[in-house]
Amino acid sequence: MSARYGFVIDLDRCTGCGACMVACAAENNVPPAAPRATPRTGLTPMLVRKVSNGMDGIARREVFIPIACMHCGNETPCVSVCPQQAVEVDKATGIVMQMPQRCLGCRYCMTACPYHARYFNWWDPAWPTGMEKSLNPAVAVRMRGVVEKCNMCHGRLHSAMEKAAAAGRREIDPADYVPACAEACPTGAITFGNLADDKDPVSHAAHSPDAFRLLAKLDTEPKVYFKSQQAWVRGLADRESDRPSEVQNG
Amino acid sequence: MKLSRRDLLFGGAGALAGLVLTPVPWKLLSDVSIWTQNFPWIPQPAHGPVDTKFSTCTLCEGGCGLRVRMAAGCPVGVAGVRNHPLTRGALCPLAFAAHQLNWHPRRLREVRHNGRPASWSEAQAAFEKACGEGPIGIVDGRPGRAASTVFTAFTQKHHGSYQSVLSVESQALAPYADWSGLPVSSLGYDLENARTIVSFGAPVLDGWGTPGRFTRLWSEHAGGAADPQLRLIHIDPSFSRTAARAWRWVPICEGSEAQLAAGVARVLLEERLVSAKGPMPRLTLEDAAAQTDLSTEAIRDLAHTMVEHQPVVVIAADGNPSIAALNVLLGAVGAPGGIVRKRADSHPQASAAPAPSSLRALLVDSTVPWEFVTPASTEVFRFAAWDGGGESAGWLLPAPGFQEELTDVPTPSTSAREMYAVAANLVTPPAEIQSATQFLRQIDATLPEVEKVIHARCEEIFHAREGTVYGEHSVDVATVDTAAHLEEQLRQGAVWLGDSPVSAKFRCELKEWPTENRVSQGTSWASTWIPPVFPALATKLYQESTLRELPAWRLA
Amino acid sequence: MKRNILTFGIGMALALSIGWIAFPHVLYVRQQQPLEFRHKTHSEKSGLTQCDSCHVVGADGEFSGIAGVETCAGCHADKVGTTKAEATLVDLYVKPSRQTPWLVYSRQPANVWFSHAIHARRAGLACQDCHGSMGETDQARVYEQDRISGYSRDISGHSMSGLFRAPHDGMKMSDCEDCHHRRNVQVGCLGCHK
Repeated sequence: MSARYGFVIDLDRCTGCGACMVACAAENNVPPAAPRATPRTGLTPMLVRKVSNGMDGIARREVFIPIACMHCGNETPCVSVCPQQAVEVDKATGIVMQMPQRCLGCRYCMTACPYHARYFNWWDPAWPTGMEKSLNPAVAVRMRGVVEKCNMCHGRLHSAMEKAAAAGRREIDPADYVPACAEACPTGAITFGNLADDKDPVSHAAHSPDAFRLLAKLDTEPKVYFKSQQAWVRGLADRESDRPSEVQNG
Repeated sequence: MKLSRRDLLFGGAGALAGLVLTPVPWKLLSDVSIWTQNFPWIPQPAHGPVDTKFSTCTLCEGGCGLRVRMAAGCPVGVAGVRNHPLTRGALCPLAFAAHQLNWHPRRLREVRHNGRPASWSEAQAAFEKACGEGPIGIVDGRPGRAASTVFTAFTQKHHGSYQSVLSVESQALAPYADWSGLPVSSLGYDLENARTIVSFGAPVLDGWGTPGRFTRLWSEHAGGAADPQLRLIHIDPSFSRTAARAWRWVPICEGSEAQLAAGVARVLLEERLVSAKGPMPRLTLEDAAAQTDLSTEAIRDLAHTMVEHQPVVVIAADGNPSIAALNVLLGAVGAPGGIVRKRADSHPQASAAPAPSSLRALLVDSTVPWEFVTPASTEVFRFAAWDGGGESAGWLLPAPGFQEELTDVPTPSTSAREMYAVAANLVTPPAEIQSATQFLRQIDATLPEVEKVIHARCEEIFHAREGTVYGEHSVDVATVDTAAHLEEQLRQGAVWLGDSPVSAKFRCELKEWPTENRVSQGTSWASTWIPPVFPALATKLYQESTLRELPAWRLA
Repeated sequence: MKRNILTFGIGMALALSIGWIAFPHVLYVRQQQPLEFRHKTHSEKSGLTQCDSCHVVGADGEFSGIAGVETCAGCHADKVGTTKAEATLVDLYVKPSRQTPWLVYSRQPANVWFSHAIHARRAGLACQDCHGSMGETDQARVYEQDRISGYSRDISGHSMSGLFRAPHDGMKMSDCEDCHHRRNVQVGCLGCHK
């Protein structure tokens, strides 16, 4: 079983609601913000950013871009810099698996990641008293001093594998493995599937003319594709585009 | 024998050499490294049997289906229900962290009176005393529930008054109720059959109505396409999320929605774009343009575009009658794709709101938002699961939280079809918790029990033999064998949906165009989700990113 | 010279004896299970001869671990025998519906994902391959807990030297890796960690 799991995110459908961000945090036992956390020091393995076309009035267009680990498949930057081998590209699934327990917190990978998709635990995770009973047993809790990122909801992959094994199957049922962000999206903008499977609709969508990847010129082969029917959005893929693109948060 | 330094040195060297040949240094190294990866103050998830339960969310009136993952008896994850007929798996962002709400720092766990700790027996005594001294009012934030039946039973027996607080979406339907004589709870929006939706500031893609219903519909039929099947026109002074995704955004001057509606109505009538002949607004097109900051051409263009793809329906953000009047003109009242009539709603309606000063005491249910203003002179018994902030005068009584009580979920106000669902208590509430209905039953044990009312309603649905039950499979009610079976399905998370809306037209009598004043019906707050409290993980949205801003009065 | 060798030798002997004899005693603290459970009694007297009579892999792949008190209540809703252990079970755990706080010999850290469904069902490993002949014991084994790491001695292996190890002794990552290597089953970090 050699899959290449990936996403196709339809930017024309994303309304910037943030459901994916909350669902990701809940699934992966990400703690609520420490009192001193800011947008720069917070823990948001899934982060939705807002980008506009720089114009005002009725010519204004905005798009929301959900950014999480792109699970780069070629010369993965974070893997190549980690002194601890705390991250590796899983051969069977293509998932770039971060092992916080092995991490020593040098944050070299955060510098290396072209997508700024890695986050550091500046503080020990703390939940209000009793709330730790609501933690997801499928994902281990990290401590301060380590880097974490999206792992494509590996806890759900594990559950799917167990279910398949109990039923005597070698292959998982695709319906059993849907990451939290894709499941949560109320417009279905985030879709997830096996890019290596020709019959998977996500694999099809990834090859449509409207699909693009961010910073594709770096040749890291990210597994997250975006798509949009709007040309100015596709132009965001390369920062060299001559359209004004103002990256603005809020 | 005297020990010399040399002895010690050689002995020490021997000991060191020996130590290296023992497991001591290696084991210590190994164990300490394991210890550093397992600091005891890092919380660990619970171990226990994992289970999946279905239920319905009760945080707002949307009634979204929930799939709750439980481990060791505690909810550890929330997701939507794929085959839920209304939401189709979608939830609002806050629902995904709702399973943590019961441990929110603002969770109320003790009775408080005027800011100081008190006891349930004191609260009960005070309430009984108040009952004896004058009329009691009960405020219900989610009318139509089984609990509402208990409240009205109490107020009828004890000569009190029952008042319900309408959600913002309900308020928007109030004008049609006034003009047709039908109760507000019997009206809804038939969005599934509309081809043009004109939203006057209602955040239809971001927290309006039942969150997943329109987002899924829009995604399927519009989804940001240049020439979509479903056209969403959003009128808003600011470039909101709905504006960003709408097919057309019409930016108007703040507060001028009524003027725009009047201007559009004028164009529709003068250019005979609709079959209605009146009533004509008093405002001229030029004045409308001036007050909305649009050109007359833009208003004309909007009017033409609105009727291009029919059926068209207009959605107001609040109870502004001018916008409702536009729907009447467009023929969107009592027609497919517009404001429709759900089946006859037999649940008790709100009686006329009493004069506040005449009440001796007011019991405010936990479903009433914090923004509800209570009169200063009345003794207030406020039920709440979470402290919403504000003054602490009166009694603050800790109510059941998320999925902690058996309750039912009546039809959401915006739904076109009748709906009924039951939210079972998946979690046992802490000992100090009591719901308003339990409190009232302690004072008057003859009041109906919520569980029995739910049972009776399930029987009603069963005997009516209409509609469909959506559980693991969807099943026509006519084929369900017993009422008990139907109730069991509902209590395990299935949802009942009535048949499609009655196609018979109902009429709205509109003799003249409403005045263009902005009407505020009681409290009118920003309608982007009004949860009782923002879940802990909502910090992802407003503190650890700049995706959203927390409303100022919600800074917690 | 002789004296130096002697003192060296004494020092070494002291260190070796402390390291090999005293150290394990001090490092591990012995704890008793909440009650004296006897596998042999259950297999002989109640016909529960298979491990999975009580240690079940569910339909969704979840492993029950040590049976919950509901499983015990299947036969022990009330006292059926005369032992003190059973009385403890019924009075303290079955009747008040409290889970018995068993000390789990094979408890792994939270970041370890081990699937019994995959190992026992799909790979066809026998329970004894990793847990030894637990099912044939006639008394509850003493639980030796490592004071520093907090884990059972079963995890690091009873044999301190690594010699004369029983095939199932030790459940550390290196032991898992050895078996995977022997059977040529490749899994990355994702395969065992969460």
